[in-house]
Order: sequence, then C-alpha cells, then structure tokens
Amino acid sequence: MSPDPSWGKRADLDVLNRDIRRVDGPEKVTGRAVYTHDVRLPNMLYARTLRLQTARAKINSVDVEAARQLPGVVHIHIEKEAGSEVKYSGDDSIIAVVAAETMEAALDGVRAIAVDVEKMPPVVTEKAAKAANAPLVNYGRNADSNVTSASESGDPAEIDAIMEGAAAAVELDIDIPTQHHVCLETHGHVVDPAEREGFVHVYASTQNVSGMPGQFRQTLGRDSDSIRVITPHMGGGFGAKFGAGLEGALAARIARETGRPVHFMLSRADEFTLGGNRSGSKQRIRLAADAKGKLIAVDLDAEKHGGQGRGALPGAPYRYAVDNVSSRVVSVKTAADSNRAMRAPGHPQASFGMESAVDMIAYALKMDPVEVRRRNLPSEVHSRQLDTVAKEIGWSDHPHKTAPGAVGADGMAVGIGFGAAGWGPGGRSSQCDVTVNPDGSVVSATATQDLGTGARTYVAAIVAEELGLQVNDVLAKIGDSELPPSVASGGSVTTGSSAPAIKDAAHQVREALEAKLEPVLGAAVGGYVWKDGQVSVRDGGGQALDWKAVCALLREPLVVRGQFKQALYRGNIHGVQAAKVEVDTMTGRVRVLKMVAVQDQGLPLNRMALRSQINGGMIQALSYGMLEQRVFDEQDGYLLSDNLDLYKIAGPQEMPEMVALIDDEDERESVCGMAEATIIPGHSAIANAIYNACGIRLTKMPFTADNVLEALYGKV
Amino acid sequence: MQPFDLKTPKTLDEAIAELPKERSRTAPQVLAGGQDLLTVMKDDIAAPTALVEISDLALGGIEVSADGALTIGALATIQEIADSSAVAKSFPGLVEAAKSIASPQIRSQATLGGNLNQKPRCPYYRHPGVSCFKKGGNVCLAEFGFNKYAAILGGGPSYFSHPSDMATALMVYKASVTAKGPRGEREIPLFQYYVLPDVALDRESVLDADEVVTKITVPGPPKDARSTYMKFKERASYDFALGAVAVSLVLEGSTIKEASVVLGGVAPTPWPSPEASAALVGQEMGPEAWKAAGEAAVADAVPLENNGYKVHLIKGVLYRALEGLAG
Repeated sequence: MSPDPSWGKRADLDVLNRDIRRVDGPEKVTGRAVYTHDVRLPNMLYARTLRLQTARAKINSVDVEAARQLPGVVHIHIEKEAGSEVKYSGDDSIIAVVAAETMEAALDGVRAIAVDVEKMPPVVTEKAAKAANAPLVNYGRNADSNVTSASESGDPAEIDAIMEGAAAAVELDIDIPTQHHVCLETHGHVVDPAEREGFVHVYASTQNVSGMPGQFRQTLGRDSDSIRVITPHMGGGFGAKFGAGLEGALAARIARETGRPVHFMLSRADEFTLGGNRSGSKQRIRLAADAKGKLIAVDLDAEKHGGQGRGALPGAPYRYAVDNVSSRVVSVKTAADSNRAMRAPGHPQASFGMESAVDMIAYALKMDPVEVRRRNLPSEVHSRQLDTVAKEIGWSDHPHKTAPGAVGADGMAVGIGFGAAGWGPGGRSSQCDVTVNPDGSVVSATATQDLGTGARTYVAAIVAEELGLQVNDVLAKIGDSELPPSVASGGSVTTGSSAPAIKDAAHQVREALEAKLEPVLGAAVGGYVWKDGQVSVRDGGGQALDWKAVCALLREPLVVRGQFKQALYRGNIHGVQAAKVEVDTMTGRVRVLKMVAVQDQGLPLNRMALRSQINGGMIQALSYGMLEQRVFDEQDGYLLSDNLDLYKIAGPQEMPEMVALIDDEDERESVCGMAEATIIPGHSAIANAIYNACGIRLTKMPFTADNVLEALYGKV
Repeated sequence: MQPFDLKTPKTLDEAIAELPKERSRTAPQVLAGGQDLLTVMKDDIAAPTALVEISDLALGGIEVSADGALTIGALATIQEIADSSAVAKSFPGLVEAAKSIASPQIRSQATLGGNLNQKPRCPYYRHPGVSCFKKGGNVCLAEFGFNKYAAILGGGPSYFSHPSDMATALMVYKASVTAKGPRGEREIPLFQYYVLPDVALDRESVLDADEVVTKITVPGPPKDARSTYMKFKERASYDFALGAVAVSLVLEGSTIKEASVVLGGVAPTPWPSPEASAALVGQEMGPEAWKAAGEAAVADAVPLENNGYKVHLIKGVLYRALEGLAG
C-alpha cells in the first residue's frame, strides 16, 4: 500500500504552488460564461418588484387592476395586502411582484400598481431607535426595546484603576457606517417548474449549491432529492448568498402558479435594499500599556448596528493579547435590512477600533508602531510578517516613525500605517468524484461553487498534480447539486473542505490505476512515479507507460469518491498589511499610494489565484475605508444610496501600487482558505498611515474629504 | 421607463417643430447622447411621450478660427473635446474638464449640449420615491436631510449643486450658447444662461422647452492668458465634482493683471466668483494671494448641516489650481 494522501513537499510539485491560469478565464473574459442572470429558457417570465420606498408604512390599499391590463403582464403577486404593514426597509419592503413576458413589461406593470400608504416614522438611524419613546422596531418575540442582546464582561472599575497608573492610556470613539457586499451579480434565481429527468431545476446565484435544494423544498412542494440547483458561474457572494431569500421563495411560488420558468433577479436598487450588509458600529475603546508598550488593559463599550439583525463584532481585545479586559456590547435595532455574513463578519470593524487604539498607544509612548504590534501580537508568525511588510513598504527609510510627520509648506504629507489579521478557516465534510475514462479523459466533480475565487481551477489542478497531468487534461465539473456534496462557502471553508476531498479522490484513483499496472509494469501499488503524462516504476530502470496507455488498461470508466481528510487540512492563518498614503491637507484628499499584504495559508494551491485573493482583500478594504457608506434619509427613510452613483466603490483610479506576498516561510503541508483574513486590516492600516502622515486620527469612516477636513479644521 | 415615440427629424427646423411650448413631466424632449436623459427617464423623473432624436443633424464639430475663437457643435462628444489638440492649445481648461467627466464609455457618447443641460444629481431628486421642488413638489428634502453634496452658495429654495464640468470651464472662457427655436436663433452668454432656484425651479437655464442648443462659441483668449480647470472627485475613477474651479489669469511678470474665477460643484449653477478674481488682480502670484482668493470665494457661503467641508475644500482646490498656473 502507498501511504495516505499527502500534499508533499512544495519543491516536488509540478502543478500546484505555481501560477495557474483560471480554467474558466477565457469563458469569463469573452462573456460566454453563463451566469444565473444570463439564463434564458423558452416561455420564461421576468419578475420585477414593487417596493415601498420609505422604511415603514401601513398599507391602505394595493390596486393592481391597471397593471393587469398592460400587455405582457402575466402574473401579479401581492406580498403586502391592504391592512398589512411594512415594518422595515429590506425584504419586508416588497409590496408586489410582477411577472411578465419581458423585463420591460414587468417594470411597466410595477409602475402601474397604485399603492396607498400611511407613513410611519422611519427609525432608520440608531439615534432614532434609541430616542425616548422611539417606536419599537425590534420585532423579536417579547421585545420591549430597540437596544438588545447586551453582553458584559469584566469590571470597568478595575480597568479604570489600571489605566490610571499606566504609562500610556488612550481613548477613542469609532464610528463605522454600514457597508454593502455589492456583488457584481445581484441575488436571484431562475426557477423552471417543469419536471425533466425527475428534477425541477433552479438556477441560482448562490454560494451554497449543496444546501439550496432543501431551501426550495417547501416553496416548490417537493423533496429536495428532486430539486436540482445549478450554478455554473456566479458573480460574487461575500457571505450574502447562503439562502434563497424572499426573492427565491417568490420565484418558486410564481413559477408554480404560472407553470412557467421565472427569471427573478434583484435590480440593483433591490439589491442595496434587501441583499444584506456588513453591520456598522460605534465603539468607545480605552486601551492602556506599560512603559515598554505591553498592553495591559482594554475596555470596550460598543454598539452593533445590524438593522433587523444583531450585527457582528468580535469582543475585546481584538487580535492583540491584553490581560485585563472589560466590555459592554449591545445591538441597536433599526428598521433597516438585516446584516448578513460578509467576508470576515465583524472583523474589519473590530480591526479598525483596535488597530487605531494600538497605534495611539505607540505614538503616546513615542515608540515604533511596528514594535508595539510585535510585542502584543501573540504569534511569532505575525512578528516575521511585520518585518516583511515593513521592509516592502519602506518603513526603515521612512523619516517619522514615532511621531506624525509635519505637513510640508505645500500642504502635503505622506505616512505609513500597519494592521494585522488572522483567521481560522474551516474544513469539513465534503466529497468529490474523480472519473478516469478508458480514452484518457478525466473528470473531477464536486458540487462546490466558484464565487470568482478560482475554486474551479483547483478542482482540476489537484487531480492533475496527483496523476502527473496538465491542468487542462482534467475537466472540472462544479456548481450542480447533483454532484458530490460540498460545503457552503462561508468562513473561508471552501478550499479547506473541498481540496482534501479532491486530493483523496485523486489519490484513490492513482492507487486503483497502480493496481492495474502491477501485472504490466511489475511494481506494487505505491511503487510508481506519475509525472509529465507518464507513469514509471520508482527505481525501475525506465519501465514506463504514457497516460493514454495506462487508461487503455481500463475496460470501463474508473470512478472513485473522495472524502474530506482532516490530515490534509489545517486552519490557522496570519496576515499583516501596510499602507502608504499621501494627504493633501488643503483639499482633504487622501490618496493611497501603496499597499502591501503578506499572508500564510499552508500550501498555496494556485499562487496566482492566491495573489488575486490578497489583492481583492486589499481592494475591498481600501474601498471600505475610503468610500463606502450606506445613506438613509433620516426624515422619511428613503435609502438614498440604493445605486452605484451614491454608494461609491473604488475604481481603477483608486488603485494603489499593490504588493501581494505569499508567506513562503510557512511550510505546512496542509491547505485551507484565506480570503477573509485579507480584508480585515487594510482600512485600519490606511487610517494609521493618515495619522502618521499628518497627525489626524480619523475615527470615523470613510476617509472622505468631508471627514478629513472636519478632523483637520473642525466642523463648519 | 415609459413608452415613447422616437422622432427622427431630418432638419433642425423639423426637430424644433416637434418640441413643446411648455415643459412638463410628459412633454417631448431632445435626445442627443442620452447619457443624462435616459437615466432621468429610468428613474421616472420624466416620462416624455416623445424623444426628438437630433444625432443625425449636422451639429457637431470643433473649429478654431484664424482669430483664435472656438466653435464647438452641440453634438460634439466630450471625448472629442478631451482629444482635441486645438482646444488644448488655447483652452486647456476645457480639455481638463472633459477628461474629468464620468467614464470613457460615457464620454464617448455624451455630447457637449447634453452636458450643459444636465439635470441635478441630488440623491433626493434622483430617487424614484421622492417628490421635491425640482420635480414639481413642495419641499427640498436636502435642506434638512442628507446634504453632504448640496450647494453652499446660491441655494434656496432648492439646494442641488450643478453637475456640469463643461459649463464651469466654458464660463471662465466667456463662452456663449447658441440656441434655435420657433422664434429664431439667439446667442446667450453662458454667464446669463443658468438660473438659480429662486428664479425658477422647473428648469436650470433660460433655454426654452422648444429650443435646441446648436453650438457653443468661445472668443479667442487674451494674449498670454493661462488657464486651468481643476475638479475634486470623491471617487477619482468616476464622479461628479465635490468642488471644482476654472481659472484664467494674465500675468505680467509675477503680478496678476487679469483674473477670472468660476466655481463648480458648490452652487445650483456654475458660480462666477468676481470676489475671488478681485482678490487676485494686482497681487503677486504666491500662497498669500491664492489663500486670499479662496477666502474671498467663500465669504458668502452658507453651508447646511453636512456640507460645511466644501468651504475648506473649494479654497483648497482653488489654491491648487492657482499653484498649478504659477511658474
């Protein structure tokens, strides 16, 4: 017998740990890749929503008669009947859905519906939710307050005492707005109710292919075994696409009622309204250190702003080791869409608070912020990573490390800042089938979805590595709930779960083939080397067969199922990022000049995809820090930022020089995901760089000119 | 978007004949590049029963005459202006303004006439659910609501800030708009083209509903003039101005002999600032004069709750623009 499957030494790998071009790259850049939005079925209806534009109202009447008369309008579903209430801006805002022969006819139908409402106070801000006599918008059972889910730990009085005697103690008030996922592809489904080959088909933009059939069981009124969910490509999820949502339920319902396929993708305005968000927060943080920069006490007083959700925020101390801790955290409910998981839920918020406070400690002690981080980050890995990014960003030559720089006569200032990250990416039960056909073709199949991360590519590449083939010799099949089950892509678990199962399947195939080779080449299972499209006997004096000849030994397709193997996975990762910025103190413009990130994750399956993920993390954090902000009108509750004009995300001109480094000092022979760690510290590093540049501590995101100028010159 | 008739007149007169006497939500409108009008229709701000498509009319082209005067057809695209070396030579601010606009795709489709006649970008105005002064309603929600992007000068009763970069830049070059309607052709100095909300709420300019802008003319610049347009975008990749300035100077040595300053993004119209100009004339080029000009420019500013930062911002942008014209 050969040993258990193992990834092997990096130096020995031919396919993995290299730059691998995405197998679906050509399809994507030429537009041939079919996303859910692109699905067109015969006789298909298009659905559009009518939403209440304010946050809350009583519905007096919904008149759909004029809409029914419009050409092309086929079906109108009324979600909010007269007498009902819209309780919050979100999925509850949907009053009706029109299904029509064309998207345009559906929109005409929506506009023709007459709705009479009685306005209610919107309660879309935390201030309004906390006001005396605020309407109750916490709709939880037995709720009597909009402030909820309080958790407390430690004794603030003890912390006070420690702070008083500390060499340095700082206090700051953090204010973080709500962020959206802004997936390129909005949420939605195409539901085809006609049974084909025993299945009803649901095309879904989901990060949870295997989990989706069960979510349609009730709405489609059939066993999940007879519901097939298909997601060949999907345009981003970031944590917002685990469930079918109200849009999925209504798509299924309308499909059943009309007997026709229904295309129900959210509009961009729908998406901003009910597609989820990263919760905002307010944090008062107090942090104390001894004269050597060792953190000795932290106190956190925080609110989570998750709308109808509870919000997300890891407790104190975040990431850094602090012995004495007290914290009080509450959720403030508002009449707004619930927060959802979003790439490292709660962590970027906590990072901004803690990294800002740690930075303040460093400057208060006139110490190097890199050194203070090193002394308080528990892992040695972080320590070496701090050195790596400090070197790459040019810290040693930077003129002001322990005090902010002086603004030049020209009003310009340049600064550098840092932040650290970590994550525990999961790995759990997942399966993969590898099929080798007598003609030499190879298929690697697992239900998993590719959110744009490159998962499809390693589904092929891992098998190619094991069998000595090229990536293109293996066909990757994913995004289909009838394939061997995989995990929902949340918590950076996809790679840690799928890759071991793929490896296991590939390894079993190899052993099965080696068993067939024994009578031909003479060596026992485990005695072969698979490389460059050939198999040869290890130490066998040139005995070899090429791949096609090996497969010709098969009389029928060889199919094996691989399972998740704990030994192939390990989930404990680290990262550090640095940012260099330029601040124009006259105009308030902050330009990010350079960002550097280093990240470990065990074996890099595909170095190019990995660097893309790291770059993506930096970009999303930059966009979060520099621009993004949900905006509600506070008087009436209009979601003003329900479009990409006002909800601003970074574009090409915002992009700094980006250096994505894979931590090759990490020699673990294991795999795991890493996407979440990379989004955690970037905006914190930018804020710290702004302080280093010119001495303004931005505690309110985003770092737009209004906030920068207010910090510089006060409110006008 | 509501259904509409698409009219494709063969001549300007035919086009004018299709246009309505009065503005209304459903009155026919001129369609050129469509980059603003179609969004206005998609956001259900207007639902014209007919669009009068003028793209096939001979209203394009960019010409510089022997005396240095510039004529730009109303249908010239923003990208054509951005790419014009003839314009860049004498009117660099026009090229800088054109390059600052939107995205390459939009610049290639959007026309100069359309850019000058854009509707407001106020998020309340653009929101399909909102009624406001500018949409025939009786309130400006920005006044006491979200007003980060609102006007700090010339506001009331509506507080939007005018979105046109080209208008701000053209104004500093003393451009005029030529428009033709049933009553004939008229030339309107750009200084007199725009109207403040306290004059009219259903329009942003003196252009009548049945008139078509045909061309923009700009006199040759003064000898030795130097000029620039500088725009501050919150999102550099694609955005309207938080604040912008167009500046033209004539220097004698380092002394400022003539100055013209127009501000953008801070008022419901492009905002000529004779105060800033006066603060510059007779002064030596340098930080002192640049700061004084900024102070003069914002002396009359009346910020709302959340747009006070624009007072600092516009001073800074003017300073940076003047700094760029030194040396």
